[in-house]
Amino acid sequence: MSRRLPLRKRFRVHTLLLIALCGWLLMLHLTLLLNHGLDAPSNGVGDLYLARNSETASANAVTTVVVSYRGFDTLGEVTVLFLAATGIGMLFAGGLGATPASRDRHNHPNEVMVTGTRLLFPALLLLGVYIVLHGHLSPGGGFQGGVIVATAFFLRMIADPKFSLDHAPLGWTESFAGSGFVLFGMLGLIFVTTASFLGNFLPHPVAAMGQLVSAGVIPLIYLLVGIKVGAEVGAIFQDMLEADHDTPVSARAAEEL
Amino acid sequence: MLEVLELFDRPAVLHSIYLIGSLILFFIGLYGLLAKRHLLKIFVSIEIMELAVYLILIAIATTPGETAPILSDGLIAFTGMSDPIPQALTLTAIVIGVAVTALGTSMAIQYHRLTGKVSVAEMTELKD
Amino acid sequence: MTLHFTPVWFIAIPLLLAFLAPLWVRWRLLMPVLFSAQVALFALALSWIPAVQIAPILETIVIAPPLGIHLHLDAIALLLVALFSFAGAIVAAFIWLDNGAAHLRERPAFILMLLLIAGSNGMVLTGDIFNLYVFIEIVGVSAYALAAIRRDKTALEAGLKYVIVGSVAAIFILFAIVLLYLQTGQLNIAALAQAFGNMPAQMQLLIGLLMLIGLGIKAELFPFNFWVPDIYRGSDPEITALYSGVLVKAFLFVLFHLTFILLADPSVARNWLMALGAITMIVAELVALRQNDLRRMLAYSSLGQVGLITLALAFASEATTAGALFHMINHTLIKVLLFLLAALMLRQYASLKLTDVHGLSRTMPLAAGLFVLGALAVLGLPPLSGFISKLWILKGFADVQTFWPVALILTAALIEAGYYFRWIRAFYAPTDALPIAKIEGEKALNYAPLLVIAGLLIVLGVAPFLLEDWLQQAAQALLGREVLLNAVLGR
Repeated sequence: MSRRLPLRKRFRVHTLLLIALCGWLLMLHLTLLLNHGLDAPSNGVGDLYLARNSETASANAVTTVVVSYRGFDTLGEVTVLFLAATGIGMLFAGGLGATPASRDRHNHPNEVMVTGTRLLFPALLLLGVYIVLHGHLSPGGGFQGGVIVATAFFLRMIADPKFSLDHAPLGWTESFAGSGFVLFGMLGLIFVTTASFLGNFLPHPVAAMGQLVSAGVIPLIYLLVGIKVGAEVGAIFQDMLEADHDTPVSARAAEEL
Repeated sequence: MLEVLELFDRPAVLHSIYLIGSLILFFIGLYGLLAKRHLLKIFVSIEIMELAVYLILIAIATTPGETAPILSDGLIAFTGMSDPIPQALTLTAIVIGVAVTALGTSMAIQYHRLTGKVSVAEMTELKD
Repeated sequence: MTLHFTPVWFIAIPLLLAFLAPLWVRWRLLMPVLFSAQVALFALALSWIPAVQIAPILETIVIAPPLGIHLHLDAIALLLVALFSFAGAIVAAFIWLDNGAAHLRERPAFILMLLLIAGSNGMVLTGDIFNLYVFIEIVGVSAYALAAIRRDKTALEAGLKYVIVGSVAAIFILFAIVLLYLQTGQLNIAALAQAFGNMPAQMQLLIGLLMLIGLGIKAELFPFNFWVPDIYRGSDPEITALYSGVLVKAFLFVLFHLTFILLADPSVARNWLMALGAITMIVAELVALRQNDLRRMLAYSSLGQVGLITLALAFASEATTAGALFHMINHTLIKVLLFLLAALMLRQYASLKLTDVHGLSRTMPLAAGLFVLGALAVLGLPPLSGFISKLWILKGFADVQTFWPVALILTAALIEAGYYFRWIRAFYAPTDALPIAKIEGEKALNYAPLLVIAGLLIVLGVAPFLLEDWLQQAAQALLGREVLLNAVLGR
């Protein structure tokens, strides 16, 4: 761009038109939403949920919504993640790649990284498990905790090229947690007291609200979600790293070092 | 000075600021989607649009002054709390968005390895 | 402690089977499980016909409707679920009996196909709008991954295009849902329908347009369907059979279900949708004339039929709706048949260009014959079932003295005849080239699922009364806004 170009080459008409289009749409949306869309929904289902929340004996209303009232959404959400993990595993299976760039990772990881990971790994693991188990008491839950646990393993993978998660046990863990979720739902359907998919069929006395063992099936389901999310995200990380290891060019790059 | 600050506590003002910001973000994403040809830039644009939608949902559904819908720190009743549904919906939507983006970028990486191409403009394999 | 058969089984069973995939891999049961799951769900759907004919089944999940998620199994949902399971069973049987296509018989393909159909069932059954979004994404992610499952250049390109277009569509749908929640504080579709009229008119328009763009892209309506032929050309024909037979039908249902439920007076939306349907049909049929690749031609033909179904559904009289639903069934059967035939032909011929398939009837007489049958059914020649469904649609329009759609549909059928006969002529053209040697593994068994479909096309054409009652009820269920609102909200 340092050379003197005619103006019409520096700003292409195409770009300007697109900016104008987006700007015009923005103005339309702004006028409409600023006029009509500013108020938070009043007397919607959210307030009714809050009013009824204590019946589930879960201290965290968001968790109640995620796992119980709208637990069916969560089952779908876990399924989407499962599908994406399956798809990514399918894409990267069996070294198909042709020209990957050589990565720094094939060098020996530096000392700060290795020591830091050794220090952080147990702490991260503990934090992840804590967040999963306390999903019904404090902010967080299966998704957040599961991702933290997976991140801990991801750090290990980066710090130590020899460390890898084996796909078979990951697959079984994921399978166990996923089918456990569905079976819990089915159990809710079978018990006469709840007779609804994902119904809370375990005793959940309101008096126990705020304790670790409370809220019936909610913490158990969230634990399963945590395990599943951890295994899936871990598998995704592993797939993406493995794709680098297996390719012929990166093997050559490693030999050259 | 203080009066100006208090102005920001009014839901209407605060919500307008959030709304303007997130809508600008949304249309930046839309522009990127329409103007850029690089695969990863397209996925970044899609992500930006998605995040803008989540921001609108979370920001407008919460009125200033409400606490998180969790019983802790001495709270004993579910009153004066923000609506838990948008938070649950956003959690769900974020996980779904991440899953789709991860799948898309993986495809882009694999496509780049096979063909060396990174631009949607160069995708001509399927044309007659 | 009793075991209830409830609508949630249509979703829970496939999910459970998909999560248990490592077991089926170990026992080498992937394809049998996929096939028998679809057959079992189809049987389950059929066993419900008497119950649903008396009253729709409403299943609460955790908390009662205006608050929680519920599943609504009425005549039309049952019809579509049965159709999807049947199409899934046919495709699964085809892949199972087939010797080629190893990548379609491994664990990822099993999971993705099973959940593609489960997600479509969920979209049809659910009564909650955010749950609908979740199912749209389940279907979407499995479809994106399935498009790329061959992992070569063309498949990855198709997958990438699909991912980009599909996630943009999903963002628009999500934006509309967010605005709906912020305006009304409701997520249940029936409760939303009640509150929808109280919104400012401009807001209704914005939400409607966002939904139309999102669902229009997903349901392949003009002008949002520019990407479709590329995807259909790049993916495996077995997979495109599912796209055309299952996916598009589910999205069409969602589009019209939302239109008819949310809008108390859908006349404006109906006119728009009728126009979109008519344009989709004419444009797609005209472009199909010029296609030289069999899969692209089938893609455009599929778009043309989608346009026809849209046109008839948007008219919203009971007769055209019943006809359109019948045409949906026929189109699913025919397109599954034609795409699976394309899969078989692709095994024999490296390319499916018009010039490369001359004299195909010599090497694959049965395939060419079935193609002719499918083409005649698309055109709507008696005694095939396509004739009856088109007749019902035309009669529905003619009964209320609306003749422009009749003229358009007949013109489209003429154009269709033009390009299908172009291909049939190529298949039966005398050729100097020696017949290509038969590839090992080409068995008569491959044709069994296709013959089932062919038989069904003839049976439904001769005896449409088998389905007539059911289709009438389904049409009433799709159009009956008040009935559904009363049933869900319990007024």
